[in-house]
Parts: sequence; C-alpha cells; structure tokens
Amino acid sequence: MSGLDHVLAVIEANGVELWLRTGQHIMLTGVSTLIAICIGIPLGVFAAKHARAERPLLAGVGILQTVPSLAMLALLLAMLQQIGALPAIIALTLYALLPIVRNTVTGLRGIAPDIREAARGVGMTAAQQLRLVELPLALPVIVAGVRTAAVVGVGIATLSAFIGAGGLGQFINRGLALSNTDLILLGAIPSALLALAVDGAIAAFQWGIESRRRVREPAGIWAARMATVLPALILVIGAIAFWSTTGGGSVRRAAEHGGPGAGGTVRIGAKNFTENLLLAEMIAQLLEARTDLRIERRYGLGGTMIAHNALRDGAIDLYVEYTGTALTAILRAPSMSDPEAVYDHVSEAYAERFDLVWLTPFRINNAYALAVRRAMARERAWTTISDLAREAKSLRAGFTPEFSERPDGYPGLAAVYGLAFGRVYDLEAALMYRALAEGEVDVISAYATDGRIEALQLLLLDDDRHFFPPYFAVPVVRAGLLARHPEIGTVIAPLSNSLDDKIMRALNWAVDGEKRNPRKVATEFLRAKKLLPAVTESTLHGAP
Amino acid sequence: MIVLDHVSKSFDGGSSFALHDVSLTIEQGETFVLLGSSGSGKTTILRLISRLIEPTAGTIAVDGRDLRDYTEIALRRNMGYVFQGIGLFPHMTVADNVAVGLRLVGEPAPQREAKARALLELVELEPDAFVHRFPGELSGGQQQRVAVARALATDPDYLLMDEPFGALDALTRESLQAEVLRLKAKLGKTIVFVTHDIVEAFLLGDRIGVCNEGRLEQVGTRRELLRQPATDFVRALIARPLQQLQAFQELQ
Repeated sequence: MSGLDHVLAVIEANGVELWLRTGQHIMLTGVSTLIAICIGIPLGVFAAKHARAERPLLAGVGILQTVPSLAMLALLLAMLQQIGALPAIIALTLYALLPIVRNTVTGLRGIAPDIREAARGVGMTAAQQLRLVELPLALPVIVAGVRTAAVVGVGIATLSAFIGAGGLGQFINRGLALSNTDLILLGAIPSALLALAVDGAIAAFQWGIESRRRVREPAGIWAARMATVLPALILVIGAIAFWSTTGGGSVRRAAEHGGPGAGGTVRIGAKNFTENLLLAEMIAQLLEARTDLRIERRYGLGGTMIAHNALRDGAIDLYVEYTGTALTAILRAPSMSDPEAVYDHVSEAYAERFDLVWLTPFRINNAYALAVRRAMARERAWTTISDLAREAKSLRAGFTPEFSERPDGYPGLAAVYGLAFGRVYDLEAALMYRALAEGEVDVISAYATDGRIEALQLLLLDDDRHFFPPYFAVPVVRAGLLARHPEIGTVIAPLSNSLDDKIMRALNWAVDGEKRNPRKVATEFLRAKKLLPAVTESTLHGAP
Repeated sequence: MIVLDHVSKSFDGGSSFALHDVSLTIEQGETFVLLGSSGSGKTTILRLISRLIEPTAGTIAVDGRDLRDYTEIALRRNMGYVFQGIGLFPHMTVADNVAVGLRLVGEPAPQREAKARALLELVELEPDAFVHRFPGELSGGQQQRVAVARALATDPDYLLMDEPFGALDALTRESLQAEVLRLKAKLGKTIVFVTHDIVEAFLLGDRIGVCNEGRLEQVGTRRELLRQPATDFVRALIARPLQQLQAFQELQ
C-alpha cells in the first residue's frame, strides 16, 4: 500500500470521528476565545485606565499562563468536580486572557495624546471616548492579541482530551495509549492545520478591518468584508461538525451532569493505557449485553488522580483501579505485600472515605516491575533488582512521570534498595518499552502484564526485597449506583475467572503490538469465553 | 465673554507654575490672540478655558457663569477646539470627523452628512471629493481645514485655536489665515487664537496678550503694543520682525 493510500485509509476509517473531533476542537477553542475576549477586553480597559491596577492585573493573568496545561486541567477538575468540556473551556479561557488583556492595554496606551485630547475636546464623555475613538484605534492591536490567544488555544485544546472533553487530542491520547502512530498523526496533523487556518483567518480579519480605511473601490470593499467574516466561518463550520455528529449531546451531558448514573446510565471511565481501556471496554460490552443500562464511555482519562477524582465526584461511575495504586498513591498508606491485606485495606477505606465499592478483583496483577533488555541481563548476570542496584550509578532509567513521583515508585524503590540511577528520563508509558529495546535507556518502570515485554525481548527483574505492592485490577464503582443496580456486580463477576496475567499480556499485545482495534479485541475475547453470545448488539457498533 | 480672575496653574503641586496669577477678559465677538514662545503658558490658558485642565488657583467665568457650573461636556460642545496636533480621528472619514460633535448630541446620520458637506464648503473643501476620504489621505492644509470645520460643527459661540497653522508651510498658512479672517467676518464667533508667530498675531488679533514664562506681560491692540510696549520683553519681541526685515533687505 502506498503512503497516500495508507493516509486515505486511516482517514476513511475514522472519517466521522475526525469530523466530530474537529468540531469539538473548534468549539472548545472558539467558545473559550470568545469568553476570553468578553472578559479580557474590559479587564484591559480597566488596567489601561487605572495605572495602579495594571501591574497586579497583568501579573495575575501572566501567572495563569505559566501554570502547566495539564496541571491547570487537573486543578480545575478537582475544583469543579467534573470532567468534560466545562473545565477544559475554563482552562483555555484562562490561558487566552494574557495576550488579550496585554494587547488591549498596549493598544489603548499607544493612542497618540493629541487624539485623546481631541476626543475630550470635542465634548465626548468617557464612555464615548472609549467607544468611538480608543477601542476602534486599539482594535488592530487587540485583534493581534486574540490571534495569538486563538492559535495557542488550538494547541492547548489537544490536552483537554485527557479530562474527557474530546477534541483532536482524543486521537493523540488514544494513539499514545495504544502506541499507534497513525492515530497520533490523525490528531496532530489536523490540529496543526487548524492552527494555521485560525491564524490565517484572523490575519485576514486584521487585513479586512485595516483596509476599510484605505480601500474605496467596490471590489476591495467586498474583499475586506469577506475577510472579516472568515473567523466566524471557522466557528460555524465547527458548530456544524459538532452538532451534526452529536446533536449537541456531549454539551448537554456536560451541562446536565446530574446525579451519578442518573436515569439508568453508567459512565465508564478508563485511564489512558491499553490494559485499562481493554478492561473498561469488556465491562462496557458485558453491561450493554446483559443489562438495560445505557453505557457512556469516558476513556482516555489522563492519570490515576484524574480518574479517581472523576469517580469520587460523580463525573464517572466506574473504572478499573489497581489495589497497589489505590493503597499508595491515593490513600497514601505504607506499602504492603500481601494481596488480600491490600484489597481489604483499600476496599474498607474507599467505602468509608469515598462511598466507593471495590468489586471482585480480576486475576491480573499488573504490578510495577523493573524491566531490562534480556541480552544485557544475561551479559551482566542480572536476575534481581538487587543485582541491578549495584550498577545503578552507571545506568540510564526511563520512568513514567507517575512512577517517578509515587511512593510505591522510584522514591520508595530507591530507599528500599539503596539505589540511585545515573540518569532518570521521564518517558510516556507507551514509548518506554521501545526506548528500552532500542537501547535509549537501560531500565524502565514496566507494567507486569504488558504484552511488549515478551515481544521486545525484555526481562522483568525479580523484586527480591518485596518492595512493590500487588496491583490487582479491580472495578471500582459508586456505592449509590451499585445499590440501585446490583446487577452490575453480578454481570461483571464472571470476568474475574476468565483473566490471568498471561491472557492479559496477549490481549495487550494484540492492541499495542498488532495494532488491533481494542473494541474488537474485547468482543472477541468475551465471545471466546462465552461471556457474550456469538452475535450481540455490540458487534453492530463494535467498529469505530 | 471669558473672564480669568487671578488664575494660576501648577502641574507639580505648587513647586513651579505654568501660569502665574493671570487676569484677563476676552470680549464677545473679538479675536483674542495669545502670543508667546513655547512654555510661555499660552496653551495652558486655552486648555483651562475648555476645562481640559483645572486651575490651581483663581476662577474662570464664561458668559458670567463660573466654569465649574457648566458640565465639562456642555462646555466643550460650546467651544470648538482646533488642536495644535490637528487631532483628526484617523479611523473616521472626513465627514465623520467633521460631524463627530453632532453625533455626540444624537443628531441622525442624514442631517449630519448634510451639515458636514455645508461645513466643508465653508472651509473651501469640495464636499464630493472629501467626505469619504480619511485624514491620512489629506495634505496638512486640508487636514487643518477639516479640523476647523469640525470645530464649527456644533455651532459653538467660541472657537479655541491652538497654533493651528504652526506646522504648515508659509503659503498654506497665509491662505488659512485669510480663511480665518473671512470666517470671522461671516460667522462672528469669539475666537481665542494661540500662536508664537508675531506676524500672525498682528494679522488676526483684535487684541493680543503677550505671554512670557507663565505671566501675561501685556494685553492690548496691535497699535498699543507697537506704541507703548509695557515691558522690555514686549519691546524686544516686537522689534524682532523689523530686525528680520532689515536683515533680509541687507541681503538683497
């Protein structure tokens, strides 16, 4: 297949979704930019008129800009207690404020003093001066600020997929989770093109308003008018794409966002890596086939805390968590090695503190483990982490950011084994296996059930000091929902006996290695285990 | 009638004075020229009269009422102001610039356009050729004519002109000076005219006030200034054009 055919095939397979995601992306950026204009221009006017307010105001919006995007999203998630479009739009609005406020101040300050005096001298009130003279003269500078804000916004909006707001970042997110380059590009290229289109449209708008002062022939006036409509045109296209594919559904969902599981709906979340997504999808398909509940999939949540907060605050109703992760990262309890003790501890604490229920554990222990290249392990005679610790100073480690921070990750490991790696790189979970296999790093924080360990000839080192707690995968569900729909527990339960580490590795590899569609992988597995009948409703919408 | 009574103005809280104890009466219908070099306080007097700034001490009355009894807006709409820097709004057409004062008082667009055309004719600019143009497309002299038309738009009783022709070449300046004389004869406005040009002051002023370092050295007709200069400063000032003329003749 030629390169072009391949591109066309990828687009064709994801055409409808691409249209939807582009629409969402435009809406996220457009709505937040419009809100930022409505807030930012008055703030800028205020700052320009009150010299004392200018510094604190600009410093304030400037600090907002320095908050890392993901941190901002996570903070808003915690404050608003919901995922989806709302926190994303607020975050994008806050980022858009600085260029708009700053340019409004600059534009107003740049007006020649004799023009200001003339405006007062002809008898304009303060409001008339602003409306008739100052804002029109500052407009080109203000529009330049809006242009910066909108273009930057298109880029940042790709991150809002991490908190379930959709947009083109959804492809990037999913592509990262499934190690699928096609999907990453399917998100990245359109968002880059969109940024260029937005930049061009607002540049045309600038040209349009400025040439109103120069051009007098009808054709020129017409062209200038058309140019000023372009940004609105992009918004309209976005709105059409959005509503034609969803009927405004996700906006309504975000707006309503009533009680947990209202009206027999179960919102299933998943963190953004293959195994978590596969398990969530299996649960979703089982519930769809065996109950009357309506299922909403909220996949690609950008990390443990985001998923946990979403569940606790009722933005989702269920997701699969791991016992060790809950113990150390969420409850911040000391590490334990007995699997049953860990499960008992977390389920009691969750019931008490969060009103959340841990269902029957799956027989999957996706523990953290240190992985090295098989060849290197043979050469250096490594079998345990203690073996590795002796040479740690000369080794390069690649850890996920989460592992680097979590008490059951590198900090605890370093303390228990007394090791310190020569260099530690932050790597995305989806990228670290290949980085290790290709010799970019010497050791990684692997997940025990990852299919790539075998496929890439990697070796898990023995945790000879029993540092890593067990990480059994368990569906966690909101207590209120489970009380109303106890069938959720009984329908999911049979999954528990159908899975083990080896099966999970194979399923993970089917997605990560063979690039198969996770929905299909889940469906096939459930059918093979006779948990789903041969043909079910889920086959009808199994293929995206 | 404009009356300044012991007016002082300090811009720095009283350590120095831009205007020092000035008393002055400008009569109805006269053209009063404030003559002085830059920094002499002449523009400060003009800005005080239109309440663009407030006096530090003393009072100003217009038509028998204290300036502070007028709202700033009403006052300025009764005082057409032609600014030193011209101050046309660059984003408005000539017609919109001329009629901006009418827009502020809510006059509908068709009337505004008609009045703008009449005013352009008054300052001898062909309306059809100018209404849709922007200030940036005009020559300095044309801009200044537009500025005069704008100042006249609300039919004010007073016309305040701050070195309106300072930046123009000699020929344009002469034709505009003639224009002011013509308008004055036709409209009978009270004009307060600020200039540093002695010849212009003598040409236009019914009476002339000579400003120097924030003080009013002498007020009088041109005849009075020529015959009885009150101070050495006035004497030297008046002698200068004659000296220039002599120097010019010697060159010939």
